[in-house]
Amino acid sequence: MLQYLVIILDDTSVAYCHADNPLEERNLMPLETLKKGILFGMKQNLMIQYVFPDYALPEEYASIIESIDNVKIYPIGKKPDTGLNDESEADVEVAMDIPENVDAQNLVLRLSFSEMLKQKDEIVKLFAQGKRINLCITDVEQFADEQIEAYKQVLNEWNTALLDLYKQGQSPQFNLLTDRMMLEKMHNCEAGVSNITLAPNGKFYLCPAFYYDERMQVFNQMNHHQPSSDNSVGDLEKGLDIPNPQLLKLNYAPLCRKCDAYQCRRCLWLNRKLTWDLNTPSHQQCVMAHIERNASRDLLNDIRKVGEFMPEINIKEIDYLDPFDVRKEF
Amino acid sequence: MTKIKDSNEPWKGGMAKNITFIVTKDCQLACKYCYLVGKNVKERMPWEVAKTFIDYVLDHETDPDFAYESVVWDFIGGEPFLEIELIDKICDYIKTELFRRNHHWFNSYRFSFSTNGINYHEKAVQDFIKKNREHLSIGITIDGTEKKHDLNRVYKITEKGSYKDVVKNIPLWLEQFPFGGTKVTISSADIPYITESVLHLYGLGIHEVNINVVFEDVWQEGDDLKFEEQLMQLADAIIDGGYYQDYSCSFFSELIGKPMDPERDNQNWCGAGKMLSVDAAGNLYPCTRFAQYSLRDKDAWIIGNIKDGIDKNKIRSFLTLDRVTQSPQKCLECEVASGCAWCQGENYDAAQTHTVFQRATAICLMHKARVRANNYYWNKLYRKLELEDLREQYEANKREVKPEIC
Ligand code: SF4
Ligand code: SF4
Ligand code: SF4
Repeated sequence: MLQYLVIILDDTSVAYCHADNPLEERNLMPLETLKKGILFGMKQNLMIQYVFPDYALPEEYASIIESIDNVKIYPIGKKPDTGLNDESEADVEVAMDIPENVDAQNLVLRLSFSEMLKQKDEIVKLFAQGKRINLCITDVEQFADEQIEAYKQVLNEWNTALLDLYKQGQSPQFNLLTDRMMLEKMHNCEAGVSNITLAPNGKFYLCPAFYYDERMQVFNQMNHHQPSSDNSVGDLEKGLDIPNPQLLKLNYAPLCRKCDAYQCRRCLWLNRKLTWDLNTPSHQQCVMAHIERNASRDLLNDIRKVGEFMPEINIKEIDYLDPFDVRKEF
Repeated sequence: MTKIKDSNEPWKGGMAKNITFIVTKDCQLACKYCYLVGKNVKERMPWEVAKTFIDYVLDHETDPDFAYESVVWDFIGGEPFLEIELIDKICDYIKTELFRRNHHWFNSYRFSFSTNGINYHEKAVQDFIKKNREHLSIGITIDGTEKKHDLNRVYKITEKGSYKDVVKNIPLWLEQFPFGGTKVTISSADIPYITESVLHLYGLGIHEVNINVVFEDVWQEGDDLKFEEQLMQLADAIIDGGYYQDYSCSFFSELIGKPMDPERDNQNWCGAGKMLSVDAAGNLYPCTRFAQYSLRDKDAWIIGNIKDGIDKNKIRSFLTLDRVTQSPQKCLECEVASGCAWCQGENYDAAQTHTVFQRATAICLMHKARVRANNYYWNKLYRKLELEDLREQYEANKREVKPEIC
């Protein structure tokens, strides 16, 4: 069921997930579009998440933006000033480098794999700040099997740091390692299922990445029957129109529906980019998610050596990293 | 010393990897139903491409994608025999390399052809057949009576029918391949000719007629009823004429027309993804139907090329496909679902999005009509056999017609 409406306020709004935003020219969502978008969200009972650019929006936007309860996603250090001071617990700051200071309760840290390895000790320092840290790797498609050991090792080091914090009575939140310990079922991105994105052009997209791709004419294959086809899945005038909506759902993903890497993003955009099918994950995504899953299992076991913790969670031992390799027994 | 493999090793066709060379996109004919929308004379496979491809395949002997017990090397076009010299060279190279590498496919391979039969008698083709006789299967496509055949299978430019040029080669072919089968493809305009065509093919001495309706959305209102009527006529003719004993027609099968269990019967129909095709440019495909020349609306689904090999991410969806995930609800609840086929390439081409997970059901009414006629066939046949006290004997000896999986 749809629950969230992501509104990209400007073409240069901050990228907060796997895909970089390649758009460099400002293109602000017209006020009328914004109003209609908010109205759509209200009528569909959706929580609105605004994605901000790094410049201050014209004054007249503030009151419209605040005409509804919302969550703000913004570039680090660029907290939007809308005249109201009711920041949400769910507000998100997005950084492309280790920030000195995190204002919001949630930080998305977007790093390439190699950057992540380089900054691993700096990342540890973030754990203790009492914020939720979401590390998002921006080049999953480049991940090679030769890097498996390096990934295992860095997660292992982070586990040691997290364990220390648990021992001190803290509850650090770090998506790659602590999410899986708390989950009893899949908790993925769910683009097009629980959330939908509205772009400045007044059209809906599965997520911002699909909008960027359309603008960059990367992969124009959502619907070949219309020669002028694009990536959009409806617009504010006609409403949502997602072709093959069932294929976005977990039940229609033969590998994922049986998988227990519950913390995996299950990124549809990466799926489409790498396997060409929205419901089919790439080797890279599965392997990375399983390394994280297994490391979470280690962390859980280590924490339990110290005291009782999440007794209802059971992460079993497995001997594969890519469910595709065991699909026959799966 | 390496052991030379026993030449009497049995052919393990059931577990064969299917590898297809699209040797040319050219053909003498311009068949009206041909799905190859992008046929052209330019794209002939250079020898270097073929050789690099074979080396790639044989270098990966232990890779799970190639760990099949046997292999079928398939040659298609256009018309493959237009490139008989290249094919001869390819086959020689494959044989030499299998031997030299002591490859597990040595002596467990087939060369397979589907030809229009026009130059079957020519010396180069005949020499090739003699040389590779033990490892060959060749199917000639002939659509039935002269009238039916020439309705579709016409020469390029002149649009003259090709029946006479094909049928003159049938005796030679049957002499060389007495169990040779033919493939007949039925489109809307062909429906009235089904019965006479099948009987005609039997009359030519062809015992196995594999016949399919096209998967594309070509059907007109009322076609299903006409189809049912034709199949019932055919059923009568086969039963009354006693053909059921020695001849087969794939339309009639006891396996079709039953509901299917979502868990037990969840396999994918088609072999795309387990097969591998290469074209003249050295691009690799999960099946030839994913090459650009066979697609109407979509971009080619290229899974790699002979230099870089297969991008395994690009075959993951094919290898995880199952019946339930790709089928609409009506098919899951369908009372006559078994034997209702699909073609992954057509599914992809007709899908609303870029996916192989949306099953096209343009053949729905045609399958239902086939099931009704099929039920009629078996009820009638078994009653006849019972009255003649021959049912047990028939059942003990009957040829099992397996639904053809592409
Ligand atoms: S690890 Fe792979 S199979 Fe499991 S949820 Fe993630 S993408 Fe799907
Ligand atoms: S599909 Fe989801 S996980 Fe992937 S880039 Fe879009 S929002 Fe992020
Ligand atoms: S296409 Fe029609 S006949 Fe075939 S399984 Fe689906 S509902 Fe049944």
